[in-house]
Amino acid sequence: MPNEPASRFIPNPTPCGRSRREFLWQVGGGFAGLALIDLLSRTGAFAAEARAATAGIHPLALKPQHFPAKAKHVVFLFMNGGPSQVDTFDPKPELAKHHGKAYTGDAKIGSNGRAIGHLMQSPFEFKKHGQSGLEISSLFPHTAKFADDLCVIRSMHSDTAAHASGCLQMNTGHVLIGKPCLGSWLSYGLGTLNENLPSFVVMTDPRGGPIGSASNWTAGYMPAAYQGTLFRSAGVPLLDLATPAGTSERTQRRSLDLLKKLNAEHLQSRPGESELAARIESYELAYRMQTTAAEVVDLGKEDTATKEAYGLNEKRTADFGRKCLITRRLLEKGVRFIQLYSGGGHIEDTWDGHNDCITNHKLHAGETDKPIAALIADLKRTGLWDETLLVWGGEFGRTPTSEGVGKPGRDHDWHGFSMWLAGAGVKGGQAIGATDEVGFKAVEEPCHVSDLHATVLHLMGLDHTQLTYFHSGLAQRLTGVVERNVIRKALTGL
Amino acid sequence: MHSPGVITEVNAFSWGIHSSSFATDEVEEESLQIPAEPKNAAPPAGGCPAAFHFMLQITQASASVGPCHPGVRHASGQPGSIRFRHMIRLLAILTLSIGLAETRLASAAPDYSRDIRPILEKRCYSCHSRLKQEGKLRLDAGALIHKGGKNGPVMAPGKSAASKIVKRLITQDENDRMPPEGKPLSPDQIALIKSWIDAGANFPADETIPRLPAEHWAFQPVRRPTVPPVKNGKWVYNPIDHFVLAKLEARGSRPAKEATPSALLRRLHLDLNGLPPTLAEQGTFARAAGNGHFAAVLDTVITDLLARPQYGERWARHWLDVVRYADSNGYERDAEKPFVWRYRDFVIRAFNDDKPYDRFLLEQFAGDELSDANGDTLIATGLHRLGNWDDEPADPELDRFDQLDDMVSTTSQAVLGLTLGCARCHDHKFEPLTTRDYYSMVAIFNPLKRPQNGRTELTLAAGRVGETAAAKERDQKIGELRRQTNTLSAVEIEQRVETLRAATPDLPQGYFFHEPSPQAPPTHVLLRGSPTRPGPAVSPAIPAVLVTRQPEFPSGNSRTSQRRLGLAHWLASAENPLTARVIVNRIWQQHFGAGLVRTPSDFGTMGELPTHPELLEWLADWFTHEGQWSLKSLHRLMLTSNAWRMSHASNADDAAGDTGNRLLGHMPYRRLEVEALRDAMLAVSGQLNPAMYGRGVFLRIPQAAIEANTDKDSIWNPSPEAEQSRRSIYAFVKRGLVVPMFEVLDLCDTVHSSPQRNVTTVAPQALTLFNGDFVNEQAHHFAARLRREAGGNPRDQITHAYRIALSRTPTLSEMSAMTEFLRIETPDSQPVPEAQPTTSALEQMCRVILNLNEFAYAE
Repeated sequence: MPNEPASRFIPNPTPCGRSRREFLWQVGGGFAGLALIDLLSRTGAFAAEARAATAGIHPLALKPQHFPAKAKHVVFLFMNGGPSQVDTFDPKPELAKHHGKAYTGDAKIGSNGRAIGHLMQSPFEFKKHGQSGLEISSLFPHTAKFADDLCVIRSMHSDTAAHASGCLQMNTGHVLIGKPCLGSWLSYGLGTLNENLPSFVVMTDPRGGPIGSASNWTAGYMPAAYQGTLFRSAGVPLLDLATPAGTSERTQRRSLDLLKKLNAEHLQSRPGESELAARIESYELAYRMQTTAAEVVDLGKEDTATKEAYGLNEKRTADFGRKCLITRRLLEKGVRFIQLYSGGGHIEDTWDGHNDCITNHKLHAGETDKPIAALIADLKRTGLWDETLLVWGGEFGRTPTSEGVGKPGRDHDWHGFSMWLAGAGVKGGQAIGATDEVGFKAVEEPCHVSDLHATVLHLMGLDHTQLTYFHSGLAQRLTGVVERNVIRKALTGL
Repeated sequence: MHSPGVITEVNAFSWGIHSSSFATDEVEEESLQIPAEPKNAAPPAGGCPAAFHFMLQITQASASVGPCHPGVRHASGQPGSIRFRHMIRLLAILTLSIGLAETRLASAAPDYSRDIRPILEKRCYSCHSRLKQEGKLRLDAGALIHKGGKNGPVMAPGKSAASKIVKRLITQDENDRMPPEGKPLSPDQIALIKSWIDAGANFPADETIPRLPAEHWAFQPVRRPTVPPVKNGKWVYNPIDHFVLAKLEARGSRPAKEATPSALLRRLHLDLNGLPPTLAEQGTFARAAGNGHFAAVLDTVITDLLARPQYGERWARHWLDVVRYADSNGYERDAEKPFVWRYRDFVIRAFNDDKPYDRFLLEQFAGDELSDANGDTLIATGLHRLGNWDDEPADPELDRFDQLDDMVSTTSQAVLGLTLGCARCHDHKFEPLTTRDYYSMVAIFNPLKRPQNGRTELTLAAGRVGETAAAKERDQKIGELRRQTNTLSAVEIEQRVETLRAATPDLPQGYFFHEPSPQAPPTHVLLRGSPTRPGPAVSPAIPAVLVTRQPEFPSGNSRTSQRRLGLAHWLASAENPLTARVIVNRIWQQHFGAGLVRTPSDFGTMGELPTHPELLEWLADWFTHEGQWSLKSLHRLMLTSNAWRMSHASNADDAAGDTGNRLLGHMPYRRLEVEALRDAMLAVSGQLNPAMYGRGVFLRIPQAAIEANTDKDSIWNPSPEAEQSRRSIYAFVKRGLVVPMFEVLDLCDTVHSSPQRNVTTVAPQALTLFNGDFVNEQAHHFAARLRREAGGNPRDQITHAYRIALSRTPTLSEMSAMTEFLRIETPDSQPVPEAQPTTSALEQMCRVILNLNEFAYAE
C-alpha cells in the first residue's frame, strides 16, 4: 500500500486468506493489544502460565485504525421502511411538470406485483438552506438549520426491492442472512471504547422492530461479542439487567460476594485457568453494568431546556427524542456504534408509505426531525461532533410514481434514493450524485450501499479491502468481493 | 504412517517474512526482546486504557483465533503463552519492518523473503505456484524460480536485463506483459526484482518447497499405522493410549494423573447424556467402585449411558450444529419449516439406534433413492432443506444458486471437511478445488426442487413408494367422490371418504426436497458465479483431487436422477479419504475438548495439521473396519482409554512446554454448551420433563426481546408450562429470534454449518444467569427440592445441594461460607412470618450454586 504511508501493514493480497493484520487482531488485539497482553499478565487476570486453548485475548480490545481518522463513533439513524427521496432531500421540479403522467423510463417499478400509478409531485416545498444553499424539503425544518453540515447522497442504490433483504443489505452489506452487521465490523475492527456498556447498541421503535428483526444486528459468523445489544430507552435498558424482583440490592451484592468467594477458592486449586478467571470477572462487570446502564437512561440530571430541545415534552417527538438524548449519553460513555430505528412493524407504522406517503412522512419526519436537530446541536456543544459520524437513511427510497392511480402512496424504489452523512470527517453542505429528471434512478455518481459502507469504514479509519474476517475458507469483507469505492467527495467535496 | 513428512509439512502459503521466522521458534528469548510497550502501543486517543476489561472475552473456537491463518499453523506457540507473546512481538517488529521496506531499498540489496516473495505471492502465485503451473513455471520457491519453466530458465542471476522474467514484466505489449490481469507491477516493485536478480537472486538455502496439493495428507487414502511402543506400559489401556503416551514420552512429559472417580462419573454423564449424575447414580457408582474392578465399573456406566435415550438427545445436537439445523427460514416471514422437527427426531433416533455412520449418511443424502427407501429415509433427506430460504428473493435466479450453494457448502464442510464453497466464483485460491469441481457437485443437487406454492412451503408424504402411491390414489378417489354430489348424498359421500381413509391411513408429512422428474436439468459452470454467464456444461463428479477414478454415478431410474445416490455411496465408503477422518475427529473433539485436527471442518491444506496424525489415521481405519462405522463403539473406545481419564491438572512443568495442550498431557476444562447447562439446571432443580420428540418448544423469552420484532404481538407464543422444562434440543430455533439465553451463551451460527461452539465469556451472560427468569425459577425449584429432600437443617440442605449439583460434598470452607450466608439472609424479622424462614435465603444460595464455575465447567 505505497500510497498510504500511515499504514504499517502489508495489505491482504487477495480477498481469500487472512491477512496478517487480522491475525494480529484476532490473537493479540493489534499493537495496542500487545501492551494489553502484557498488562493482563501483570495484573494477574491472565496469569502467564495460562493455558493456550483458553487464553484467547479479549476480542473487544482497542485496535488501531488503518490510518488516522477523526470519527470514533457512528450514529446510524435508520429510517425504517424507506423514506421517499423526492419528498425529502432530492428536489425534482420536473416531477411537477409530469405530474399525473405515466412513467416511461426503463427502471422497474413496483415491488411484489403492486399496482403502478402515475408520476406524483411532492406536496412538500423545497427551499435552499444555509450558506451552501442545500435544498431540503419542508418535512425537516429543524434539521435544515444544519444544512451546511449535511452531505446528502442523492444517488444511492441497492440490489433489492424487499424490506427484509433491503434492511439486511443496508446493515450487513449482503441480501442473505447470517452476515455480520456494520456495527459488528466496527466493533471487531476497532474494539470498544468503554468498559461498562456494550460496544454496539440498537434502539428500536416502540411499534416494533425492523423486518428481519435480530438479523439486522447479528454478528453472523463472528463471535457473539460483536453483535448489537438491544437497549431500551426507558425502564430497564438491557435484558436481565435488573436485580430480580424480590431480591434486595444488599442480598444481590451478598450473593455475588458469595459466588466470588466460592469461585475464587475453586480457581485457587486450578491456577492459570484464565477462562475461569474471566468468568469470575464477568460477574463483576455485569454488576457495574447494572449501574452504568441505569445511569444512562436516568435523564433526571438533564436540564429542562435540553429536554425541551429534544422534544421530550411533546407526545409526537418524545420517544425518538428520548432515544436521541440517550444516544448523546451513550456516546459520552464511549459506545462505538448506535443504531436508532424510526418506525417499526409494517407499512404506515414505518416510513413504508404504500397507502398515503404524505401523511406517513409527515408523521415520521415530524417524530424525528426535532430530536435529530437537537442531537446535532448537542454534539456540537459537547465537542462529540468532532468524533462522531451521523448516517441518516432507510433501506431504500420510494417511487416518484404513486402506488395505484390517484392514490397518495408510493412504492419501493431501490434504483435511486437519498441518504445523508454528517459529522466527523464529512464535508457538509453538499449534495452528491443525482437521480434522473423524475427522481427514479441514480444516474450521476451512483453510490451502491457497499460504497456507503466503504465510506463509513474509511471515515472510521478502516480500509474496507483490508478489514477481513476469516470464515468458511474465505477472508470475508463487509463490502463483499465486488470492487467498491469510498465516496471521496463525501470527505472532500471534490 | 503413510507419510513421514506429515508432521513437519510446512504451509505452502507462508506469507512473507513472518513464516520463515516462525520456523525458528527455538530462537533464544534474549534475541527477541523488544520494549514491552512500544510507543505506538498506546490505545488511540480518547480510548479508555482499561477498555479491554469490558466483556472479558475468551474465544476458544477456531473462528476467531488464528489456527487457519496461513502463516500461523506451524507456530507452536499459542495465545497466552510466553512464547506466543514473543511471537507477537516478533511479528510486530517484522510487520513494522515491512512498512519500512519501501524506503530502505535504495541502500540495501533486496531480501528474497522480505522484499521479493510478497510481490510474487500477490501477483504471480495464482498462475505459477503449487496450485497451478502455467508454462510449467512455479515461482513459489527460490529454487523453482531458478529452475524455470517449460522453455527453460526465466532468469539469469546477476543479469536482470537478460532475464526473461524482467522482460515480461516491463514490456509495453499488453498481450505479452505479466501479470496478464490487473495493473502492471509498480516501478518500485520491478526495481526490487531487478536488483535482487542483479545481486545474484539469492534465497534462503533452507526454504521449503511447498508440496503439491495432491500430496496433502488428508487427500491420501487412510492407512493404518503401527501402534507405537511406550516405556510406561502400565499406563496404556488401549491403542489410543499408545499414541498419546508415546508422544508425551518422546518430549519427556508425563500424562496428568487420573481424575477422581466422582469427577470421572460426572464427566461421563455430561459427555454422553448432557446431564449430571443423579444421587442414586452417584451412590451406586460409589458402592461398585469400592467393591469391584474400577475399569469394569466404568464400563458398566458407559454401557448404561450409551443405551439411554438421553444419549441421542445429547449427541444429535452436535450433528445439528454441523448441518445448520433451525426450525425457521429466516428473512421477512421467517416462517416455520413445517415438520422439520421430524428430521431432528430422525437424528436422535439414529444416534440412539447406533445407526452405522455410513448408513446414516446414505439415508440423509439419498434416502429417497435407496432400494429400501421408506418414510424415515425420506425424512432424513430433510438435511438438504435445512438452510435459510428467502421467499421473496432479490434475484430469483441467483437465489436458486444460493440454495444449491447452501447444499454443496454444507455437504463439503460437514462430511468432507472441505471449503468447496470458495470455488463458486473462481478456482479455490488455496485448495486444489476448481469451479468445475464445485459445479460438478452442484449438478448432483440440481435435480432437487422445493415443494412450494408461491411463498408457502409444502410438505410431502413420507412413506415407501407403494405407500405414497396409495395415498395419492386415495386422495384422487376422495376428490372424485366429493364431486358426485348429484348421485350421492353428503352423508354417503362422507361415509365413503371415511372408509377410504380407514383403508389407507394418512402418511406422516415430512420436510424435504424432491426430484419431480428423473430427468436432471443441465448444469453449467457459472463464470464468476453469475447465473447470467453460463460456461461449460458439467456432469456429476467428485472433486478431482479426492479420487484417482471417478465413482460410478448411476443413471436415473423411473423416479429420480440417482445422482445423490452416487454421491452418497462415495461419501459413505471406506475408500473416501475424508469421511472417516472427519467424523472421528468430531467425536474426539467432543470427548477431549479439542479435535486432533483443530479446524474440524477444514481438512484442506489451509486447515491445521493433526496434533497426532498417526492416532487420527489409526482411529479412522479402526472405525471403518473393526468399528463397522458404529459411533457407539467409537465412543466406547475413546472413553475406555486412559487418556480420557486424565484430570485437568497437568504437571505444571510439562504444561509450560505444551501450550494449547497439543501433546494431550491433560484434559482441558470445557464449558458446557448452553443446552447442557440449561438441561443440567433443570435436572438439578428436579423440573426436567423427559418427554421426547415433536414440534419445537417455544421457550418463554423476556418481553423486551420480543418488542424489537416486526410482528411483536404474534411472533412468539410460548408453549404450555410443562413443555418449558423439556430438554433444550427440543427448543424451537427461530433464525430471526434466537432465545436470548441461547444467543448470549454462544449457540452456534444458525445459518451456516458450525464446526464448534464459540466459548466467549461476556458480562451479559452473567446478567442472564444471575438475573434472568429461567435461572431464578430453577433456583426456586431447587430450593424447594432441598427442603423436601433434606429437611430444615441448613447443613443438610447445603450438603444435599452440593451432591445434587456438583456430585460431591462441600469442603469445610464452603460449608462455613454457605451457612454464614444462609444465616445472614435469614433475619429474625421475616416480612412474611408464615413462610419457611429460609425460603428466600435458600433460593439465593441455590442461585449462587447454579452460577458456580464448577457447575458450568466439566471437570
